Amino acid sequence: MMSARQGALLAAVIAFTAGFAASASSQTAEDLKNDHLTPGDVLVYGMGYSGQRYSPLTQINKDNAARLVPVWAYSITDNRGAEGFPVIKDGVIYTTAHNATMAIDALTGSQIWRANHEYPPETLRVVCCGIVNRGAAIYNGKIIRALLDNQIVALDAKTGKEVWRTKSPAPTSTENGYAMTGAPLVANGVVIAGVAGAEFSHRGFLEGYDAETGKHLWRHYNIPAQGEPGSETWHGESYLTGGGSSWVTGTYDPELDLVYWGTGNPAPWNPRARAGDNLHTNSIIAIRPKTGERVWAFQTTPADPFDYDGVHTPVIATIPAQGQPRRVVIQANRGGFLYVLDAKDGKLLAANAYGKVNWADGIDMRTGRPKHTQVYHDALAGKKVTVWPSVSGVTNWQHMSFSPRTGLLYINTLHVGMTYEAPEPPKLVPGKPSGTPTVRRTVVLDDPNVRGYLKAVDPMTGKSTWETPYKSPNYSSTLVTASNLVFTGTMTGEFQALDADTGKILWSFQTPSGIVGQPVTWERNGRQYVTVMSGIGGVYALRSGDPNLKNVPAGASLWTFALFDK
Amino acid sequence: MMLDRVLRIVAAALIVGGTLTAHKSSAQDGAKIAAGEVVYNTYCATCHGDGLVSSGQTFDLRRLEAGARSRFENSVLGGKGQMPPWKGVLTSEEIDQLWHYIRDNAYQK
Repeated sequence: MMSARQGALLAAVIAFTAGFAASASSQTAEDLKNDHLTPGDVLVYGMGYSGQRYSPLTQINKDNAARLVPVWAYSITDNRGAEGFPVIKDGVIYTTAHNATMAIDALTGSQIWRANHEYPPETLRVVCCGIVNRGAAIYNGKIIRALLDNQIVALDAKTGKEVWRTKSPAPTSTENGYAMTGAPLVANGVVIAGVAGAEFSHRGFLEGYDAETGKHLWRHYNIPAQGEPGSETWHGESYLTGGGSSWVTGTYDPELDLVYWGTGNPAPWNPRARAGDNLHTNSIIAIRPKTGERVWAFQTTPADPFDYDGVHTPVIATIPAQGQPRRVVIQANRGGFLYVLDAKDGKLLAANAYGKVNWADGIDMRTGRPKHTQVYHDALAGKKVTVWPSVSGVTNWQHMSFSPRTGLLYINTLHVGMTYEAPEPPKLVPGKPSGTPTVRRTVVLDDPNVRGYLKAVDPMTGKSTWETPYKSPNYSSTLVTASNLVFTGTMTGEFQALDADTGKILWSFQTPSGIVGQPVTWERNGRQYVTVMSGIGGVYALRSGDPNLKNVPAGASLWTFALFDK
Repeated sequence: MMLDRVLRIVAAALIVGGTLTAHKSSAQDGAKIAAGEVVYNTYCATCHGDGLVSSGQTFDLRRLEAGARSRFENSVLGGKGQMPPWKGVLTSEEIDQLWHYIRDNAYQK
């Protein structure tokens, strides 16, 4: 017979166990909202809904960073670009490749499960810029990711078994130029997913799926249909193949209930086939996650000749702007201007060059439009020009970080220009390649030994506090910590810690391949760890012909570092 | 004397004719190479690099030698490793053009 005291104890144990089980298996909307405050886990792409990639952890600092050592390494069993964002929950790391999702013990590096994803080989015909996947979302015990062949799949976080799978509805297909490479974002219970494929004559969109069931809830075409507002910015039926994809994950402001996402370049690349501003390509859009309703949009590069894909993640921050602290979104745009917009309504607060730009003299603060130079006008007229930046941009998709402590952005930039010429444009059909073959270009360099910089940039002025040069541009994202350390990786495989105040490289470790991944930091049992994927790939590695990369072996692996503790 | 003159005329005609044939063949190859470059930029450059210059992570097509044509066609049509199959997308004429473009830029002519 159980005593009252024993009964109370048992009830307490059951309650505790239930609570633990819930916390171990559930990632509620509240957990996701507080991700940036809980450094024991990494739940949201960008290390929190704001996408700041900032950590309050300070165990690893400037004085001891030189003592960083690898704790373990894990083979992804793949030779393609390792661009994935690692999600970490309860001592388990979830990571992705284009053809697999993996759960790994965060302390030992041993595999817990691996789910392989098959896709028809034809899928790869419309993957323009590296056969990659950039990561998964976690929600209520499910790992949710996109597959290359346009499906969203949810896996049980404990077992890797499939919970639901939904195919993106028509006209989404490989034949029509669509592929999915980006990481979904779960906002207000809705899985938000974008598409790649503006190089294959599609019409880009964002979609919402129910995170519990996978039910398709809505689609927001980034390009308006005929008759809708903005359709007058497209000539004829060019909107049907107009591009405007959404392949880089956005951010979410739970208080305003707005998701911010960057949209991609118009198609074809050759602008002479699509007269007009081409709304809402190359734009930052704010949408309601429950419905897909667009609340505001800001176009960075109207009538874009240069493929200045505006997909870079809009980072949310509260910074001094126009005399007061303001909630803003910041985008390091591929065209070379750093935009600061009011998060509430998209009002332009600042736009300054943060690299070498010659196609525009600046941004008109009243209209938000670029002040075009003759280079731009000549390009649009079909003349051969030398333009800075190149198609790759002043930055590309690699994510910047923002430190609320320093007030600075840490951006991996490119320093590469191009010659450019747009001949008579071809006629397009959906699914037909519409990028490279429609223009002519060559690489232009100021200095073959400096093709990129890691810069610490003031968001309101675009000016750098410091610039650390690199022989090849870094396509790794950056991570910044409260101890003023910046972590990033190089194309030749060095994983590095830099002083956020000076740009000095404090520590460097050679991983087996080039790094195009996304570093994250986390803690467990009182020890701080840093995790990143190594594995060269992606658009620059494949297409640039950069001679510095010829001896970089392929091969994806996941690495975790900590301070040497003996 | 007359015969000698006739022979000279015939020889000259043969030389001119031969040169013209050679020019015609060269012009055809040039057109194929140019068309092959367009095919390459449309379907292949995304993985094999701008202007056939690979950074080292994918096969350097400039290594293909003259005797590798059937191997090349099999790989293009059926796919190889993570290269998708192009059967049903690329015509035999386009594959021929592509081959001429690659061979024109090959390390070993």
